[in-house]
Amino acid sequence: MNDNYHVFSDGRLERHNDTVRLVTDEGEKKYLPIENAEALFLHGQIDYNTRLMSFLNDEGVAAHVFGWNDYYAGSIVPERGQTSGRTLVEQVRSYDDPDSRLSIARAFVAGSIHNMRANVSYYHNRDHDFESVIDELERIGDGLDEAGDVSELMGMEAGARRAYYSTFDAILPEGFVFGGRQYNPPSNEVNSLISFGNSLVYANCVSAIRATALDPAVSFLHEPGERRYSLALDIAEPFKPVLADRVIFRLLNRGQLTTDSFEEDLNACLLTETGRKTFSKAFEETLDRTVEHPRLDRKVSYQYLLRIEAYKLKKHLLTGEPYEPFERWW
Amino acid sequence: MSTETSSIDPVEKLLATARDEALDDEFHVTGVMMQYYEVCERELWFVSRHLEIDRDNVAVVRGTRVDDSAYEGKRRNVSIDGTIAIDVLEDGRVMEVKPSSSLVDPAKLQLCYYLWYLDRVVGVEREGVLAHPTERRQETVELTDERVEWVEESIRGVHRVVTSDTPPPAEEKPFCESCAYHDFCWSC
Repeated sequence: MNDNYHVFSDGRLERHNDTVRLVTDEGEKKYLPIENAEALFLHGQIDYNTRLMSFLNDEGVAAHVFGWNDYYAGSIVPERGQTSGRTLVEQVRSYDDPDSRLSIARAFVAGSIHNMRANVSYYHNRDHDFESVIDELERIGDGLDEAGDVSELMGMEAGARRAYYSTFDAILPEGFVFGGRQYNPPSNEVNSLISFGNSLVYANCVSAIRATALDPAVSFLHEPGERRYSLALDIAEPFKPVLADRVIFRLLNRGQLTTDSFEEDLNACLLTETGRKTFSKAFEETLDRTVEHPRLDRKVSYQYLLRIEAYKLKKHLLTGEPYEPFERWW
Repeated sequence: MSTETSSIDPVEKLLATARDEALDDEFHVTGVMMQYYEVCERELWFVSRHLEIDRDNVAVVRGTRVDDSAYEGKRRNVSIDGTIAIDVLEDGRVMEVKPSSSLVDPAKLQLCYYLWYLDRVVGVEREGVLAHPTERRQETVELTDERVEWVEESIRGVHRVVTSDTPPPAEEKPFCESCAYHDFCWSC
């Protein structure tokens, strides 16, 4: 269950008997084990027809599409997904109540800062001195209660992220310069990896939200309508440091990705196809990692933590029980 | 719920509504609600809010399958007042089928509610059969005074849970693990 399949080649994706077949432009045929799939991630130029779409719909499998620049372009989401008028009503009601919206938005930021701090502490305890950044993150985290509205919260989050990103150049191996966050297009290798990693986190959040009756377009921290599935942006926030950033550090520090894994294209620095494969593989391995969940009393995968997060938010909206954001506890 | 309606005993209200078609109670106690009440009040609250469950859950899939296939041809489904739907055997006894005997009290309460409803509303006295086809076992259930009290207290309980704005807090039960709401309930 819950496996993601990444397709990098260009070609045609089709229903063949009761499975999905990829026919590459080179004429190679590959079969995807669709019965265990959560979603397909389409990175290459893919042709498909409505027969395939109906089949994916019947099987409850989403298809996430990525553009030439590694950015998330959109999803084809099965219609069979959960719908509940009541959940939507409560979600909108909560969005529309400034106090309620602010408290949910604050939770996303608090979780995000906690998990950024966990990454910085990890490298601080190894061979870096990040004490001032840790203090700064703690100071911002402690001040979240003072934010009077969501835009103030966004400002605090941006400040925390700046402090967090300031550690990257020290963590990353020689040959890689981060400098600061730049996207649209990403200006260097590290920015390119962050963009790609974040878009994978985001697409997995879309899948997780689909399993609940939450409306992916009604969000709390980000403005609804800013992007189509802005709730996925909200939920992705606390997960980026755990799911994307640690993979980036690992791959670069172990030399699994080098400057050869990137190419310049239209003023953008982008991963090569091989580079994308390496990254996606490491990312999927991270999603499959498990951790003992203290309340569920069993091991759950990192990917399932996204589902749990959607459950928690939905439960908060419907029962009023407090929403505690995902904060790395291990 | 306004204070006026909540001051009326739910049992009296249910009986009054069932006997007089001019009255309408928006609150229908179904047999399944009684079952949930006995299993877990929090689950009843979730169900009453139409909170959908994870359809992949193994226990749910199994329960549905047993219910559909067991004793086919020997029972017929009868709906009464649009409130309760019961399975009646050829000999007139009311049957309730459960996938296993592990949750016997909830199934018994559901069955007793049907017997109570038939007796108090329709005016027919019937015997019940609790069947566990996978274990090839049947149990006859009669509506005793004690069970009447059990049913009526449970109707009040269902009413209390369902009209509450918030669900009862999560409570660890031996069968939590197999519940379709498990992860939803215990995620925090």
